[in-house]
Amino acid sequence: MILKLFSKRTNLVLVMLSFLVFGISNAQAQNSVSGIVLDETGSPLPGASVVEKGTTNGTSTDFDGNFSLNVASEASILSISFIGYQDQDVSATGSPLTITLQVDANALEEVVVVGYGTQKITKVTGAISTVKSATIDKLKPVRVEEALQGQASGVSVIQSGAPGSKPTVFVRGIPNYKGGDPIVIIDGVEQSLDDLSAINAADIESVNVLKDAATTAIYGVKGGNGVIVVTTKIGRKNQAAEFTFNSYVGQQEVLKKVGVLNATEYGAIINEGSTISGGPIIFPDLSVLGVGTNWQDEVFKTAGISSHSLTARGGGENMTYFLSTGFLSQDGIVGGGEKSNFNRLNLAANLNFDLTSKIKLIVNTNYTNIKNQSIGAQTAFNSILGNALNFDPTVSVLNTDPNTIGTYGFSNLITGDIFNPLTRLENTYNKHNGNKFFGKIELQYEIIKDLRITSRFGYTKWDQSSKEFLPLAFYGPLHVSSDFLSDGTLIDGNHNKVIESTISTFKYTHETFANYNISINEKHNFDAVLGLSLSKSTGNTTNVSREDVPFNSWDFADISSATGNNTSENPSAYVGRTSNYSTKKNLSYFGRINYDYKDKYLASFLGRRDGSNTFGKDNKFANFFAGSLGWVVSEEDFFNSETIDFLKFRGSYGTSGNDNIDRAFVSVVTGGPSYGPTQNSNGYTFDGVFLNGSTIDTYSNETLRWEEQTQLSVGFDLTLLRNFSLTADYFEKNVDGLLFIEQPSFYAGTPRRPSANIGSTETSGYEFNLGYNLNKENFKFNTSFAFSTFTSLVTATDASGTATLSGGSIFNGISQSVTRFEKGFSPGYFYGLQTDGLFQTQADIDASPTQNGAVPGDIKFVDLNGDGVITNLDRTKIGNPFPDFTLGWSLGFEYKNVDFSMFTYTSVGNDIFRGYERGANFTNKFRSVLGRWTGPGSTNDANNPRYTFNDANSNNRSSDRYIEDGSFVKIKNVLLGYTVPSSLYNDKWFSKIRIYAQAKNLFTFTEYSGFDPEIAGGIFGTGLDEGAYPQSRTISVGVDLKF
Amino acid sequence: MKNIKIIIGLFVFLSVFTACEDWVDFDPHDEFKITDLDYLKSESDYRTMAVSCYTPMQWLNQMYVLADVATNNATAGGESASDVGRLQELDDYTTTPNNSLMEDLWESGYEGINRANYLIARKELNPAGESIEFIGKDEMYGEIYFLRAYYYFSLVKVFGDAVLFTHDRLVVSDFGSLQRSPKAEVYAQIELDLNTAIAALPAVNTQDGRINKYIAQALLGKILMYQEKFDEAASMLENVINGPYILVNDFDSMFLKEGENGSESILEVQYSNGKPYYNWGGVTRGQGNLAAQQCGVRGLVGSADMPYAAGWSTTLPTQDLYDAYDNGDQRREATCFDIEAYKVNNPELGITYQVAPYKNTGFYNKKYLPRKGQTSGQIELNYENNHRIIRLSDVLLLAAEANNRASASNDTKAQGYLNRVRARAFGDDSHAITVTGDALKQAIWKERRLELAMEGDYFFDLVRTGQAASKIAGFVAGKNEVFPIPQREIDVSGLTQNSGY
Repeated sequence: MILKLFSKRTNLVLVMLSFLVFGISNAQAQNSVSGIVLDETGSPLPGASVVEKGTTNGTSTDFDGNFSLNVASEASILSISFIGYQDQDVSATGSPLTITLQVDANALEEVVVVGYGTQKITKVTGAISTVKSATIDKLKPVRVEEALQGQASGVSVIQSGAPGSKPTVFVRGIPNYKGGDPIVIIDGVEQSLDDLSAINAADIESVNVLKDAATTAIYGVKGGNGVIVVTTKIGRKNQAAEFTFNSYVGQQEVLKKVGVLNATEYGAIINEGSTISGGPIIFPDLSVLGVGTNWQDEVFKTAGISSHSLTARGGGENMTYFLSTGFLSQDGIVGGGEKSNFNRLNLAANLNFDLTSKIKLIVNTNYTNIKNQSIGAQTAFNSILGNALNFDPTVSVLNTDPNTIGTYGFSNLITGDIFNPLTRLENTYNKHNGNKFFGKIELQYEIIKDLRITSRFGYTKWDQSSKEFLPLAFYGPLHVSSDFLSDGTLIDGNHNKVIESTISTFKYTHETFANYNISINEKHNFDAVLGLSLSKSTGNTTNVSREDVPFNSWDFADISSATGNNTSENPSAYVGRTSNYSTKKNLSYFGRINYDYKDKYLASFLGRRDGSNTFGKDNKFANFFAGSLGWVVSEEDFFNSETIDFLKFRGSYGTSGNDNIDRAFVSVVTGGPSYGPTQNSNGYTFDGVFLNGSTIDTYSNETLRWEEQTQLSVGFDLTLLRNFSLTADYFEKNVDGLLFIEQPSFYAGTPRRPSANIGSTETSGYEFNLGYNLNKENFKFNTSFAFSTFTSLVTATDASGTATLSGGSIFNGISQSVTRFEKGFSPGYFYGLQTDGLFQTQADIDASPTQNGAVPGDIKFVDLNGDGVITNLDRTKIGNPFPDFTLGWSLGFEYKNVDFSMFTYTSVGNDIFRGYERGANFTNKFRSVLGRWTGPGSTNDANNPRYTFNDANSNNRSSDRYIEDGSFVKIKNVLLGYTVPSSLYNDKWFSKIRIYAQAKNLFTFTEYSGFDPEIAGGIFGTGLDEGAYPQSRTISVGVDLKF
Repeated sequence: MKNIKIIIGLFVFLSVFTACEDWVDFDPHDEFKITDLDYLKSESDYRTMAVSCYTPMQWLNQMYVLADVATNNATAGGESASDVGRLQELDDYTTTPNNSLMEDLWESGYEGINRANYLIARKELNPAGESIEFIGKDEMYGEIYFLRAYYYFSLVKVFGDAVLFTHDRLVVSDFGSLQRSPKAEVYAQIELDLNTAIAALPAVNTQDGRINKYIAQALLGKILMYQEKFDEAASMLENVINGPYILVNDFDSMFLKEGENGSESILEVQYSNGKPYYNWGGVTRGQGNLAAQQCGVRGLVGSADMPYAAGWSTTLPTQDLYDAYDNGDQRREATCFDIEAYKVNNPELGITYQVAPYKNTGFYNKKYLPRKGQTSGQIELNYENNHRIIRLSDVLLLAAEANNRASASNDTKAQGYLNRVRARAFGDDSHAITVTGDALKQAIWKERRLELAMEGDYFFDLVRTGQAASKIAGFVAGKNEVFPIPQREIDVSGLTQNSGY
């Protein structure tokens, strides 16, 4: 099916190409010159541009690197260029010519894309991390963020294993509680991190991460969390179509399973737990239990992944094009591809037209279709993995009871909450189908030399329709969630249900700005930009559910075929709901001046005035400024070093913001119970009939304003001996007026709490990038290290310092919240009691602070506040889910036709809260329980208290018992490639054939006992392992073709 | 060429032109949101908003649990020492300002006050400045004044001095700006509101659950008793006694579904078990009554004929309470449910249950015992049992006490009222009380305990009558008459704490 689809798409793109490729006009000329263009290894370079200097007359090389051109005279000079190579001018005499281009190894000539312009890298005074297409091509990321992890210093990326899911990304620490999603700019157009799932990695030319105020303040109120600038590929003028085809197929599998008890061990521990609390023996004969079922073996599957993409780029005299199509299909390792998958189809066209010599039109169009199925909740204990870890191991995989319906086995001990994961999987039906159009239409008008006006309309349209089916299910005769009796009789009052929902959003940004470059006496160079930006985003959702799908079957799961109708007894048989997304509007003015004196002394000043309809009426506009200075020491006359090629010091200071808040106005709500955070319920019962009521639901806050983030950043860039490079940065980032949910006076009642600018945070950190490159004939070697570290601290929340936000809800017998955002602590820290071993004897208990319910073998908690009794007030910081530092190490070499690259990512000091242990009496236990306390002196390890059904001490309270060090070293990527020498094949068709084998997540070195120590989940969920979907080990083989 | 320039010019012009600063004005109507200015435009809006002024009454259900657990009437029970911790603290007299029950009651009471204030402030003009008149508006406002008084009475009973405001619902700028007012001022406001309500309310209920004139008079009488204004209380309560209420002969039946809003019932907080259900998002803030689930027998299983549902074994009546009843008093079995006796006496029901694992007394709160078929949805949270707040017998006993303690004491009348209650309890007149003076007062007080046990009155009665320190183990006079102001409120709003906490 996929292949079929793909070939269909291929045809489509070929048609597109043939339609779009323009012919190249021929000049009237007399002298014919021909030749061949080769790279430094002697391979032909197809698509290199050959232009008669001083004219517009030119051509490009064919598949074999050959060209021929009519020139004015033999004295004409030919200018040959190819991206990534140094330009070369040669005389047209002596045809046929052989021209060998040299790789442009001088990274200092590069330019980087910054907001509303580009800058030569040597002149940059801000802090920018860059990942180029070469790196992305090697990593083959499903999502772009994967390529930033450990490659771009200062960027924290914590990935999730679920196919296509969004990772946690922070740029330079955690400034606020709402999460630190940086904004994403794709070809100048504002997008969001969510949109990165929609872009094909093969389309990307470079990704720049803007980190300091000097680079982010141009995005003003949206720049506070950093900016990821994605630049996609474009075509080149006068170049024949160059096609690339990349394809790989692979297999994914789980790296590790969690140690749980086998059936016999389980039986023994259940007996112990029951009898110790005065109950009966549950399993009288352990010898019949055997090893039973390890449910993890049943739910983890080997799953496929494949990706194919075809691109074409080139151009004529007046236009260039880059066209791309891609198809990626990833199945999930949990439940397999039938239930969990991510399929993405991309079509992209980047077209640049020279309408006149002064006017350019740029049209970038992307269409992405994403189809996926998921296994539902991925992190809660009742997820498929949570069930697989906790379900009864004595149950056989398949149902062996002939008198009972159901395909899979059931437990008579576990009768609620936890399900047979296979039955659960069998009853999981959903599909999501999303279409996204995004891109831009841009006009550039060069009014006079070096003054260019750009007007750009960028847009994103996203439509997704989803369907979910909740069938009638049987989980066992005693299970409270069973809809049937054992014999298949439907229990009265139960219904199946289909839910259909759509989401539709539209966002546009219209920006107009002028760029002006001027050089005075070739010493004073100015580069200025001034402009304005207007944006709006809207959206709506609808959600309809209906009961009674015919035949209890997914095949008929549709609102139109379901038959449920509302009755007075069942008013929710057929219900629908629509809601509008918040309308966000921004109006901004911005400007920047970059100045340099002879490339030596650099200065930059920029500002932005942002208006947002999110803010209160009194503060609609916000101003942001930043300035930066740089000194290129190596340009100084006195600087005379053989070893140091380039040395630049730079520093910046400025502000940016965040408008990621809810509007505050006085609203009225009508209805019944409220499921909101303050339970501001309505309605009352009169004459036994419930009547809806209404009340005020939100406060207004007219003084609401943006969060002001001030950042100081200093650093230097150094190049030694042409091959070594070092970039180092230090930054301090303070947030004032932190948007925080204020705790109103309790006497104000229960309307939703308003946001207010009442908090502050402080973040500081270091980043280093160290690189080494060696380019020899037949041998290339490069290695680089990216080191990042940051410390974030919440310095204020509200006037009293008591307002906290809690997250990380788990249920392990007690419903508790284990992460917090609180004054005096790092954001999202783990919150709980400290333990001090186990009570060995009653005397021990009597001598300790009062701990209600404790008996010997229970955990001894620390009385932190010294009031003589263990209460919730003794809770404190027990861990930090964010790493102390991360280190990415890339290594690559090429020898003749063989290339090898490896990428290793290290995260040190990230703690994990082990939250997947459900801990009900009959749920399966984890192997650590075998080391439990069994009598005085048996163990004093607080991780292993006695095991009992009646845990009056609540040993399952959030405590450091559940904290593990999640530090890890992951070999994220290993790739071995071989470029087939052109002598081995008919090079009439292909200019390059490369085959490779790749392994992702080959090994993880960690002490962590769970599946995967990398657990994404924003500020309140990162590091909280509720059975998180682990990343898979992927082994794939692929081919890269050029033709 | 020329055209292109025009197009570009237009493009640029458009973006500059549309960029006026109004662009970033936010109008909630862009998102179809209903703001305060859009509401209270019709009778229906006013009446719908009035409905929600009743809602927080339901949220106060733990106040009725508190009033027995904090006395020798009941123990906290629960699964273990760490289960229902906030009730354990009340039981053990270790309550701290961090007990979340305090926050729950404080916030619920004040939400009621804010809702009433908002509506009262817009009685003449709605937020848009219009006057909306309709038939029955004054009567409806009678309900609102009553409810504000009810919420203030709840707060002043539990916490003593309270933050007093009546001008409007509080807004952001008010947060933290108010302080507590002396109890006397709060009572004065309550009396004012109740008198306003009595003047406006109809004598007859249009619907079960609606406030009428007698309810307001009964509450005012009770509040006068709390202020020891016995003369005024006696005449106010007399109005109610002369009203349409009749004692129910079968005491037990009053607490069944069929007995709800019966002839003796004056004020009941109404609950229902229909949709929309409530869930674990806020256990005390639903349409259903959590308190029923709380007092059920743990792990109770029996045949289809067995009427009771299982629960959490909290709020267990004590032996002390059981023993306080005389033989022949029908209230004993109707208050203290002995599960083991029930099991033995009804072998055909095949009952099994789990002995209450903590602070077991063997007894369960019969008045609110959860029953099968009376809940739906999240079954623990949606029992439809109404909370009986004021019954005629309560009014009779208050009136008896008022007459006994009035400046011109009328013990004959007091005996009469008291003995009406006793005659119903025993089914005969042979248990009539004949003593007078202080002995009569003691007899009335004892009767109040027996009559109203497990109904959420006893603690407040003991405090009101100055008996708490002598009757409750652990009670410290001068401290425990009131509960602590929630610590977070102290931190957020800078209020003073009650002494001793």
